[in-house]
Amino acid sequence: MSRIPLERKVLGENDRIAAGLRERFAAHQVRCLNLISSPGSGKTLLLEKTLGSFRPDRRVAVLTGDIQTDNDAVRLGRYGFPVRQITTAGACHLDARMVDRALEGWQLAGLDLLLIENVGNLVCPTSYDLGEEAKIVLLSVTEGEDKPLKYPGIFSRASLMVLTKIDLLPYVPFDVGKAVEYARGLNPAMDVMELSAMTGQGLGNWMAWLDSAATHGMP
Amino acid sequence: MHEMGIAASLLDAIRAELARYPGARATRAGLRLGEYSGVDRESLSFCYGVLVEDSGLAPLALDIEFEPRGRDLDLIYLELDDE
Ligand SMILES: Nc1nc2c(ncn2[C@@H]2O[C@H](COP(=O)(O)OP(=O)(O)OP(=O)(O)O)[C@@H](O)[C@H]2O)c(=O)[nH]1
Ligand SMILES: [Mg+2]
Repeated sequence: MSRIPLERKVLGENDRIAAGLRERFAAHQVRCLNLISSPGSGKTLLLEKTLGSFRPDRRVAVLTGDIQTDNDAVRLGRYGFPVRQITTAGACHLDARMVDRALEGWQLAGLDLLLIENVGNLVCPTSYDLGEEAKIVLLSVTEGEDKPLKYPGIFSRASLMVLTKIDLLPYVPFDVGKAVEYARGLNPAMDVMELSAMTGQGLGNWMAWLDSAATHGMP
Repeated sequence: MHEMGIAASLLDAIRAELARYPGARATRAGLRLGEYSGVDRESLSFCYGVLVEDSGLAPLALDIEFEPRGRDLDLIYLELDDE
């Protein structure tokens, strides 16, 4: 009997493909962002408002992941920018290979910004690097301010937390200060913003964050 | 739930390491699982138990070393029956 010590990443194959994507994004100066939240927190509506406020010559594209349906790609496709649906057929997350395949035929040289909407899930997408520059976690005010404590994996990795649906704050007990305190307890460097994609409140901050040339920390 | 996929990746990682020791049989594998890895320990144990049966590697025990506040999901050792 002998014990062989090892240090091998279980998701090493995904990490390898993600590293390849990250190199390609860097070579073409494409900023890639991975949006993660539980189902229905408002990822697609925020992306719709984002695309809707870009100038038509903005070099942006979107990949959107769902287990079933191309509903989100249909919603996002109305704004004149390239959009592709990734249907995972059961998988609860996107992985780097899916992103790599979905990019086939797109000229990265023609893009500055690639927005990826992950499958609605606060757990599984956490483990899979997609080659993104930053993960963004969305938390809607109807979900409760304790979510960073319950799902520390994603809140500890995200560079930005977006509190969504703040137009509903008058109707739900949600302590913004606590949500921020819990998230920063895990991740002191995290950026935080509040917005309502519905009313447009706070969208300016979000657009400024997207445009900022600053590096928001690697995942 | 993505623990089935993770368990399958773990078995692939074990096979890849074992390939370096022709003729050896593994009896035990060690995994370091970070609290923030996004992977649930109980669920992974269960899925591993199901998949290892048909993997051609059974019996192959899995030890999970839990790492508080860690992010790792690493295969950290194999025990070989090399007689
Ligand atoms: N009141 C309010 N509703 C919102 C806001 N943003 C999104 N919604 C609504 O919340 C629901 C879910 O929004 P989506 O944008 O589809 O959420 P999602 O995160 O993309 O959902 P999945 O892709 O299924 O995970 C829709 O009915 C939206 O209209 C908001 O700022 N305020
Ligand atoms: Mg959506």
